[in-house]
Order: sequence, then C-alpha cells, then structure tokens
Amino acid sequence: MTPVADTEFDAHIRKLTAWHFGEDTGSPFWLGKRGTLGFDPIADVQGIDDLTRFPDVSAELRTVPAQDLIPRGLADRSFRVYDSGGTTGSPKRIVDSGYRSHMLEWARRRLVESGVPEGGNWLHLGPSGPHVIGFDVARYAALGGGVFYTVDLDPRWVKRLLAEGREDDADEYVQHLLDQAETILRTQDVAVLNITPPLLEALCARGELYEMVRAKVRAVIWAGTSISTESLRQIDEVFFPDAAVVGIYGNSLMGVAPQRPAAPGDPHPCVFEPFPATTRLELVDGEGRRVGYGERGRVRLHLVTEEMFLPNILERDSAIRVEPRPGSPVDGLADVQTYREIGDVRVIEGVY
Amino acid sequence: MSDVATLVTVDPYVCGRTVHSADRSRLPSVLGGDLADVGLAPHLLALSALGEIRRHADGRSPGAGVFAEAARLFAEEVLDDEDPREYAARVSRATGLTAAAVAQAVEDLVTELAELPQTTAAELPSTGFGPGFDTRWVPRGRTFTAVMASNHPVPNVAWAQALFHGYSVLVRPGSRDPFTARRLMRALLAAGLPPEKVAYLPCSHRTGEFLLREADRGIVYGGDSAVRRWQGHESVAVRGPGRTKALLDADPDDAVVEHLAVSASFDGGTRCTNLSAVLTSRPVGEVADRLAERLGRLPSLPATDEQATLLVADRERAERIRRQVVALRAELTDHSARFDPGESVVELADGSFLLRPVVLSANRPDHPAVGTELPFPFVVVAPWSEADGVAPLRDSLVLNLLTDREDLVDAAVREPSVRKVTRGTVLPWTAVPGIPHDDNYTQFLLEPKGVVVRD
Repeated sequence: MTPVADTEFDAHIRKLTAWHFGEDTGSPFWLGKRGTLGFDPIADVQGIDDLTRFPDVSAELRTVPAQDLIPRGLADRSFRVYDSGGTTGSPKRIVDSGYRSHMLEWARRRLVESGVPEGGNWLHLGPSGPHVIGFDVARYAALGGGVFYTVDLDPRWVKRLLAEGREDDADEYVQHLLDQAETILRTQDVAVLNITPPLLEALCARGELYEMVRAKVRAVIWAGTSISTESLRQIDEVFFPDAAVVGIYGNSLMGVAPQRPAAPGDPHPCVFEPFPATTRLELVDGEGRRVGYGERGRVRLHLVTEEMFLPNILERDSAIRVEPRPGSPVDGLADVQTYREIGDVRVIEGVY
Repeated sequence: MSDVATLVTVDPYVCGRTVHSADRSRLPSVLGGDLADVGLAPHLLALSALGEIRRHADGRSPGAGVFAEAARLFAEEVLDDEDPREYAARVSRATGLTAAAVAQAVEDLVTELAELPQTTAAELPSTGFGPGFDTRWVPRGRTFTAVMASNHPVPNVAWAQALFHGYSVLVRPGSRDPFTARRLMRALLAAGLPPEKVAYLPCSHRTGEFLLREADRGIVYGGDSAVRRWQGHESVAVRGPGRTKALLDADPDDAVVEHLAVSASFDGGTRCTNLSAVLTSRPVGEVADRLAERLGRLPSLPATDEQATLLVADRERAERIRRQVVALRAELTDHSARFDPGESVVELADGSFLLRPVVLSANRPDHPAVGTELPFPFVVVAPWSEADGVAPLRDSLVLNLLTDREDLVDAAVREPSVRKVTRGTVLPWTAVPGIPHDDNYTQFLLEPKGVVVRD
C-alpha cells in the first residue's frame, strides 16, 4: 500500500471514469465495452484498487481502429497516432492530442533537476517515425529553446535482423547510424544526447566519435531498453564522468518515467518515477498482488487521462519496488528488466 | 560445511586491478546451492578493459621463465588465498569433473605450460638460409581474446601460449569454470607477467564475441551455436564439438572394446576428443551391445571418490541433459538400458546427479544423430560399408581407424574435415609437443618475417 493517502488520484479516477463512460464524452472503444464489464464503471469505481476490475485491453490496441479510441468529448481536437515498438507482437496504437506534451513538461523539469541543461541542442539517436519517443525528445528540445537533431532508427528492422540471426547486418546498420551521428556532431553544437543503451555501447567503441561526444555533450539520456547496474556505473564514472547521465523508463502506452534525482540513502543508483497526476505503476506478483518494498514484481500500469483510459495493463517489464520520496504519492521503480516466465527458455547444450 | 559459508567471490581483473562489478551472478554447485558469487563484466567494462589492454600491448614476450615458474605455482602454491586443493575442489564442484580428472588436468596443464618452448620449436620450420638471411616468427597482432568453455581446465593453455608469444590477452572464462583461468592468471602474475598484459572478464557470450571481433587474434571454445559464427574467420581459431569418431572394420576383441570405452568415457566424456560415434562394418547391434555392457560397468560414485570416472551435474543441468537423452532414445535403438537398468541420470547421496553412459545405434551411417555430442559418455554406433567410403567419417576432430584398408587411411588423412588420424588402440588425445591438435596453433599466432642483414 502506498504510504501517502492517494485520495487526489482516487478523485481523478472517479472523475475520468465518468468521462470515459459518459455517452457524450467517452470513446466508442470504451462505450462499447460498458455492457460487458459486469459492473457499472461510473457507480462502482471509487479508486485505484477498483481499476483492476477492468479487463486488460492492451492486446486489442493492435487491431482497434485508432478513431475509436478518441473520446467523443474531444472530437473537435486533432489527434496523432503512435505505435509501440512491437516487441511482443504487432504494434499497439495510442492516440494523443495534448496530453503527451503536458506530461513532457513535467518530465523535462525532472530531467533538469537531475542535471540536464535547461537549454542547448539535442541529438536523438533512436526511433522516430511512428514511435512516440521521437516526438518526446523533440518536445524536450523545444521546451528548452534548443534545436532537435535526429538520426532515424527503425527498431523493427533491427529486431528482424536479429531474429533471423543476421547479427553482422545488425552491426552494420548500427555503424550506419553512428556515421550519421558523427556527421551531425562534427558540425553542430549538441548539449544533450538521447540514446538507447546498445547504441551508446556501440558509440563508446568508436574512439573518435566517443571523444567528440565526451567533449561536447553535457548530458546523456538513455532510454528504450534496460541496462545493468555495472553498465550504468561505467557510463557515469568511466565514459562520461563530466556529463549528467539520466535514464528514462517508458513506452508508448504508459508514457515516460524519468529517473528521480538521486537522494541520499537511495538503495539503487537509478530509480524511475511516473507522472503522478495521471499514472500509477504497480509491481505485482503472479497473483496480481503488490509486492513489498525491495522486492521484484511485474509492472502493472494504470493510465488515467482525459484522452486515454488504460487501466490494469500488465507490462512486459519487471522492476524492484522502491519507497516513494517524502511527499510523493508514487512508488519508484529500480532495475527494470524484461519480464520472463521462469523456465520459458530451454537451452540445448552441446559438449561444452 | 554449508555452501553459503564458503561462497567464493569472483570478480573481473583488468591490468592489475580487481574490479568489483555491480552485476552479479550465482554459480551453482553440483552438490546443490551456490558455489560462487561472480561479478560479470558488461559490454562497457569489457570495452574499457580492451582500451587499456591495447594501450599497453607491445608484442613482447615475458620470457619462457615466467611460464615455467607459473606452472610450478599453479600446481603447488597458495595463490591469493587459494591453495591447490581448494582450487581442485572448486573446479570439481562447478563442472562435475571427478577429483581424479581435475588432478590429471592440473598435471597436463602444467606440463603443457612447461613445454611451450618445445611446442614452439616443433611447430615452426627451421630457417637456415645462410649468413645474413633469417626468418623471425613474430605475433600476427598485439591483442588476443580467449572465449573459454568449462568442460575441461587444460584448454586454458591456449591463451597462456598467446601470452608466451607476446600477445596481450583478454580472457572470458568458462561460465561454469571461472576458477582455472583465474588461478592460471594469478600464477602467471606471481611468476612475473606484467599485469598490464592481461584482463580476466567473466561475461556474457555476446560480450565475449565483441572482444573476439575486436582482438587481432582469438580462440573460441564452445558448442555449435557458440562457434558457428567464427568458422572461416581468419583471425579466430575455432574449437567446437570434436565429433571424434572410430571406424571399426575388424572383429572387436576385448582390448578393442576396452579402448573404445575408455575413448568415450575418460574424464567423464567431457573432452572434445572423447569418442562420440563408431562406424562399423561388423554387426551394429553386437558392437553397440558390447560397448554398452562395458560402459555400463562403470560405477555410480560421487566425484570425490578415487574410483569415480563419470561426470556429475547440478539438478537443473542434469534434468536438461536427461530430456535430451530421452528424445534421442526415442529416435534410435537403445543398447544401454539392457546392461544398465535404471535412470540415465542418477541422484547421488551428496546431492549431485550422475550422468550414466548411453550407447545408441542408428541404422544408417548418415543418420543425423551420428556426430551428436553430449557432455558425458554418449556414443552412437552406425553401420559402415566400403561403398560408404570416407563420407561418414568427415567432420571429425580425431578419427580412430581400426582397419587394414590402406587406401581408406590415406583418404582419411587427406580429408580436410578430419583434423587428426589415429590408428590402432591409440587414445584420441595422445600427442607429443608438435603433434597438431587442430591445425598448427603456433603458426596461427605467429607469422614469418624475413630479416636480411648485410654487414
């Protein structure tokens, strides 16, 4: 249980459940589900614990027409559609009008608190296209008055290469991306580098490029995949000792959970926090019960915004539950890893 | 004595510094529980180690004396709080090799270390071109990566040999045996090896592959999936599953059956040179029965027993292997069950799981199971006739010929995928310095350079 009474969030849930299931305001997607839920969402949902009564609809986001996700009450706004990376199957879709920008203003303040410069130009070495992270990083740059450089990365192509055992082709693609980054870094001023951990590893292995980044960049933000504690220590202390190194956990459905500024006595070097106004990330065991502080659990998401209602979504990640900072209503997440069922990998062993 | 109380801490070591990695992994003991707490080197730590190694790599050999002294220290001395007895017990508990096998391995390893000068001399041609003309054999690069497996300690000589010739070396130890490479490195350092010449990096296979790619030369040990990428890669020596075979083209007497049984079961069947297939012109069922009967007599003993020869494993690994054996048994004719009733995996009183020998037969020489290699005594017997020729004998690290057909012997020696030929009741790993194991390793490490001097 969260130690700070989450009454504000419960009130938020009641208000927005009424919105998403109101005939004039809700989306065709949720209104169509109302009769199948077996309870009355408007009368019966009083707070966060009631959100688990909803079915996990995330798989339906692969197929439902994106228009059906737009609440009728927002019909006059323009929406954009973003895809998830498709790691667990074909991509899921979300719609966004203004919510994401609102959340990113909050996230950017967290980044600045962690040492990311207020201004300066950004280089994003990661996905753009249908992937929302490209929009996110462009927004951070704009909020600080900097320009946004990007190198396009198609993560689905990389996944396909790796699935086919074409590691050499994947490596070549990574070098192609780094070539483009080098072109930008040679001539442009870049203060913040946003990058995925595997690309950062590859970048560090290219001596001249690495020296350029180390000399220019004042903050390295990593996101997109998990990273080991020792790798993080190497980035922070060995490779970029003079820059702020900050992580962002996130994905298309939940949004972003930046690293919270390190507090004395933090048991983990990197702890993520979601946007408290709209998002709760719970860490749960196999039966869906919240695990204790210091324990690992699978991530369960509740996203409650005016634009999208995504209660009770089981994510593909696991993490260690960390106590909230004083005054904060949200738990922290540490050591995020891809969730695996025990025993789902069978290793064929030869003589060695 | 509980395993928790004796948990060994293993950490990366880079150019004279132990790096306490924040990424930890537990190494299981064959007796159950954990044996070691291992610090892993992630990609970036390996990358910084590589950079440091490269900066100091000068291509100079530390001198033969270092290796002779290191051999002595390895076998006899306390090195960083580890005495030879503790080392042997750790390797045995981690790999499941018997105490006797580890003791033999230590003896072989130190012999090979001490023999490095003779091995070098035997593997390089003499160069007498007259006054002023000379060939110097020099390292083909400055850095060397070794990706080791855990089946046996002796292959660790391979990276010591690279050091001997002047390379700076990065070692990714076997994941089940981090101890041998660590102890050998400690022995070399204590004997005078400059610390900036070596890095010890327990790490994932992926990180090991990165280091292999980056180094000037390297060697990789492992199963098919681990080594496939490196086949035909000029800078990497590949030591995969050996697929050692015998051609039995004579009526087997007891001495021949004994020879085949020892070829298959020595060191618990973990060597890449252990016999894994017998092709025979004699009745397949009879040959398989006799081999199964002989192997079935091997006792089920804990690894610490002096009489023990068979490999043990922890519960999880044993279960994985058991499932593989069940699948293979369903596909082929099983000969072991008749002589060795009971389970192919036997739980011992000390908590370990012993892997019983398995002999199966196939009805054709090109059956895909011929050449399947498992990390314990596992032999597939298959028919061979003159019409089959050398084809079923291909892809063998060692081919043991028990035949009078001289033309077949010649064809086998000429066959590129057969790496070594033995004739008669010679154990597959029999060698003296200079006998190639799989190509000429010294010439893989060194290249000839002409030096011409006019006074």
